[in-house]
Amino acid sequence: MSALFKSVHGSAWWLHVAFVILFCVAVFAVLQLTPKQSRKYVIQLVTFIGGLFYALEFFLPIHAQVTAANAHGEGNFITPYMDVVSDWLTVIGAFTVGLGVINLSMVHTKRLAKGGNTAFNSAVFFVSAFAMMAIDILQKAHPNALNKNIYELLFSGALTTLDATMFSIIAFYIVSASYRAFRVRSTEATILLITAVVVMLGQIAVGQFITHKLPEVFHFESIREWILTLANTAAVRAIGFGLGIGSLAVALRIWLGLERGSYFDSQA
Amino acid sequence: MKKLLRTLQTIDRRVLYALLLLSVTLPFFIPMKIPVKISQPTHKLYDTIESVPENSFIIFGSDWSAGTRGENGAQTEALMRHVMRHKLRFAILCFDPQAATLTQDIALKLQSQYGYKEGVNWTNWGYRVQEVLFFKAMANDIVKTVTADIHGTPIQTLPVMQGVTSATDIKLLVNVNPTNSYTNYIQFLQGPYHIPMVFAPTAVMAPEAFNYLDSGQISGMLNGLSGAIEYEQMLGVVGRATKDSNCLSFAHLLIIMLMILGNIAMLLERRAAKLETQLMGGAA
Repeated sequence: MSALFKSVHGSAWWLHVAFVILFCVAVFAVLQLTPKQSRKYVIQLVTFIGGLFYALEFFLPIHAQVTAANAHGEGNFITPYMDVVSDWLTVIGAFTVGLGVINLSMVHTKRLAKGGNTAFNSAVFFVSAFAMMAIDILQKAHPNALNKNIYELLFSGALTTLDATMFSIIAFYIVSASYRAFRVRSTEATILLITAVVVMLGQIAVGQFITHKLPEVFHFESIREWILTLANTAAVRAIGFGLGIGSLAVALRIWLGLERGSYFDSQA
Repeated sequence: MKKLLRTLQTIDRRVLYALLLLSVTLPFFIPMKIPVKISQPTHKLYDTIESVPENSFIIFGSDWSAGTRGENGAQTEALMRHVMRHKLRFAILCFDPQAATLTQDIALKLQSQYGYKEGVNWTNWGYRVQEVLFFKAMANDIVKTVTADIHGTPIQTLPVMQGVTSATDIKLLVNVNPTNSYTNYIQFLQGPYHIPMVFAPTAVMAPEAFNYLDSGQISGMLNGLSGAIEYEQMLGVVGRATKDSNCLSFAHLLIIMLMILGNIAMLLERRAAKLETQLMGGAA
């Protein structure tokens, strides 16, 4: 396995990269020449093979596979290829990041060109995105004190602080929303309100202090624990089973190309 | 009276925001400490870490960003104190770009208190992508998958990584996570390799995780900031969580009082309207 995908260096590396680029261009050209009706089948075939690889690796019987790194290794004939395929998937996943950046750039370029109220926000997007990108590359390529300080200023001083601020604002919305929403308009709403109050009181020191003189079964923290470990767990487990079965069904449909209303149909 | 009852049901948002601001900031100036009762999940987490032999290697998964720093930051600090006090070797593993730096800062702050040194007792594998693929590859060959730490040092040269080559060498998984990606740890590491796992979610995500706690897939859990407060009490330290405990209490009490106030006003208004209708019907 390692002989097939061994690391190369120097001029051999450049040759490999050039070959891969030419190969990808050739594959892309062939796909473009493929009639639109046939593309659906190409995509379905690639999806099926991709899913089949991991399904077979999981379901086929395993035997001992001792390697230099893992003396207790187990696997089947597909397992040695997992690392290589994982690397391919990581690279493909990285393309989606680039795709996202390109898409954002296209949207905000149009807004900038159009002008108006949103043009300023689009300009801020470009300045902040490219400034962060530039300083990150600079401080990795030339890790001197100045670059590191600017990076720290932008990352720790601006990005993480603004991120914390955005989430902190949610606290104010929660106070306002819970004050207006938790009203006893029905039996279910009353049960919800009482449960919320008991759970909240049970997890703070002041709430535990209120009932500390009562028998333990009437302590807020005991009732809270009962609600979370029994009532809540039962409900969440049921929802979890439903989600699991639903996810399995959707995954099977996508793997077997049965999903309707997706890319396959719109492009065909 | 009617006007008062209506006003109590529709208090201006700005007043609510001002009250919240006061309830969160004033407790910092009030030296009040009320002990809390330690919950079962927190006890279990403590016992799980205590049961791991000293000098064992563990993964400290940290997947939070600055947005949940209030809860997850305090949990990370409390857990890291215990791990260092118990003399466990650990590697920080992050699937969030900010987590690598934020967790590194906490480890650097605490290491001198427990005689720890980066590279010797702990390391930071940094930010990684594609969680599922990473776990599948790491389980078989850690050195080939991780390659280098956050500073670019090859991990096989680090003393902390000696004798650690695959998932079978990992003795505990710790995950501080505000999302539900902790299930990947369960699916690809805890389940197949029977590695004990402890979890520290935000209070919002904790109800979902009780499922896994009940089934034994998670051996212990810190329930949000209140879990971190309990944990610091068990460790006998006054850390970030303990300092924030009064703010948590006062903010919760404010929300509860506002909810009760709004409902009392609503019920009184309904009763007054009903009486008025009965009186008008009687007069007619």
